[in-house]
Amino acid sequence: MQKHLLPYLTNLGLLLVAVILSLAIGSVFISPAQLWQILRSWLSHSSLPAGLETFSFIISDIRLPRTVLVLLTGAALGGSGTAYQGLFRNPLADPYLIGVASGAGLGAVLAMSIRWPYTFWGLLAVPMSAFLFAMLTVMLVYSLARVGRTVPTTNLILSGVAFSAFATALTSYLIISSQGEVRRALGWLMGGASQNSWQTVLAILPYLVIGLGFLLMNGHALNLLQFGDDQAQQLGLPVMRTKTLLLLAASLATAAAVSFSGIIGFIGLIVPHVMRLWWGADYRRLLPLSILAGGGFLILADILARSVMRPQELPVGIVTALAGAPFFLWVLRRSKNQGYW
Amino acid sequence: MVKMMFRRSIILLISLSLILTACSPNLNPTTNPTVTEVPATLAIPTGTAITGAPVKPITMVDGLGREIELPGPAQRIISLTPATTEILFAIGAGTQVVGRDTFSDYPAEAGSVTDIGGSMGKYNTEAMVNLQPDLIVAGGINPPELVASLESLGLQVFFLANPTTLDELYTSIKTVGDLTGNKSGAADVVAKMDSKVKEIDTKLIGITERPMLYYELDATPFTAGPGTFVDLLITRAGGTNFGANMDSAWAQISLEQLLLADPAFIILGDSAYGETVATVTARPGWNALTAVKDLKIFPFDDNLVSRPGPRLVDGLEALAHLIHPEAFK
Repeated sequence: MQKHLLPYLTNLGLLLVAVILSLAIGSVFISPAQLWQILRSWLSHSSLPAGLETFSFIISDIRLPRTVLVLLTGAALGGSGTAYQGLFRNPLADPYLIGVASGAGLGAVLAMSIRWPYTFWGLLAVPMSAFLFAMLTVMLVYSLARVGRTVPTTNLILSGVAFSAFATALTSYLIISSQGEVRRALGWLMGGASQNSWQTVLAILPYLVIGLGFLLMNGHALNLLQFGDDQAQQLGLPVMRTKTLLLLAASLATAAAVSFSGIIGFIGLIVPHVMRLWWGADYRRLLPLSILAGGGFLILADILARSVMRPQELPVGIVTALAGAPFFLWVLRRSKNQGYW
Repeated sequence: MVKMMFRRSIILLISLSLILTACSPNLNPTTNPTVTEVPATLAIPTGTAITGAPVKPITMVDGLGREIELPGPAQRIISLTPATTEILFAIGAGTQVVGRDTFSDYPAEAGSVTDIGGSMGKYNTEAMVNLQPDLIVAGGINPPELVASLESLGLQVFFLANPTTLDELYTSIKTVGDLTGNKSGAADVVAKMDSKVKEIDTKLIGITERPMLYYELDATPFTAGPGTFVDLLITRAGGTNFGANMDSAWAQISLEQLLLADPAFIILGDSAYGETVATVTARPGWNALTAVKDLKIFPFDDNLVSRPGPRLVDGLEALAHLIHPEAFK
């Protein structure tokens, strides 16, 4: 029992440490003692000590919503990365494999090239367009890859790659021909939460709950799929339907996460691998563990992104690859488990 | 058939849920509940204006069409762009500026003001809140979602739309004067700019030719087209802008087009990025250009024409002197 719980406790512990660090570290210095006073007064509903009102506001309305948004984004990328790798039985698969990123990027830049009125809908134009284009791309790629009643994995990957190249080229064209929106577009494409508020958290939460919830219930199905489609079918799994639904669920979670946070690379690729190296390849465990670790890892990357060049912030996508790649290589080198995949 | 219906229902479901989420009133930045929860310390009471006159609320419409109301002239200002920083300092509101973006490097005094980020469009919101500003001045380069997210934190933002003509710039400067209680300072700046422009206009009355200028923004090569101040100022300074007939405001061009037009001057707006007379003459094929043969290549301070602020007239003056030195003898 204890051995069974160890991975979860470790990941939860790491996530908790990341959350606390994320609340404690920022460009405005708030000492641990002050942070403790603020947290204590929240928990006991007592009034704040004098002089801490601004700090309390910074923590409750800037650092906390940002931390939660980053956690959810990382969780979505970690969880759907695991699902994609399982679905395609390919260690190179990541949540963007069949076009979520390129579709979202095209949608976002397209929306940015139009001048929207400063209204409720106008402000939602960029994330909504990113989300819709991401989902449309996935569905288009899926239908392009279909051969009769089946969707061969190779077809899916190839049409995903081809369509992504097309969409990325279109995005670049839009950026170059646009009137001075280059900075905004590049900032979005490199990732990083620019709109971080509780409203953003509420907007993406339903999709993550549906998408990740569905994945979590299908760990067993992913285990069966590792034997190959024919074997899984013989074991009683409705392979086509399961794969389609898993693909949609993972894409839904990813699309919702990137629509507000932009494209954050690498995390959906390495988190599942690190979890697999550390805790084994059983998808029933791998999925929840990758979701927890994805959230924790992205929070740590975000802390780095906003502190290395203070007071400037780096796009978090740069940090995930810059810090994530060496970390992943280190884990890979240290691992004695050679045939882990 | 069944599969088709299944797929359609999924698309329908997704679009429906998206609309539902979007419709939730919580998302609306204008009716944001957090605005009322802002600690009292964030709203700095402005006792009396500098003049000592009784404080009157200021109501103005900003570049996003929003009505902005201030209890009195702003006293703790954050500037989000180099242009707005230059305007604030020029009209005498420099001492009221408590924060500025990373790229605000003029005037020198702005350097000692707290840096609140801004590279890749990412600003440091927490540093901004900590400065407890009573007004944030945003410029045309700031996207609306930035304005919305600052506003949801209870901060007062005035969006100054990008001016496209000198008259629009004068209006912008006067607006900033009204917001910060520096009406006369702003009027002075505008009057000085206007008289300088008129003076240059007068000197250029007798010019007989309008030589063509190629204004280089980047060595790849990029140049400025219609709708930009580069284009406007070159024309006003008695020249013809090589990029005047392009389709977009900023565009990459080819050496072929440059050879065909054969401009009389090459102005290096990218001199801050290492481009010099030597690097241009060394570019393969460029020695066929008349401007290169005659060494009519001039490094130029791009900030004088790219920042819609008070120094645009200095840019105009510099260009006019370059193109028509005979008119200023």
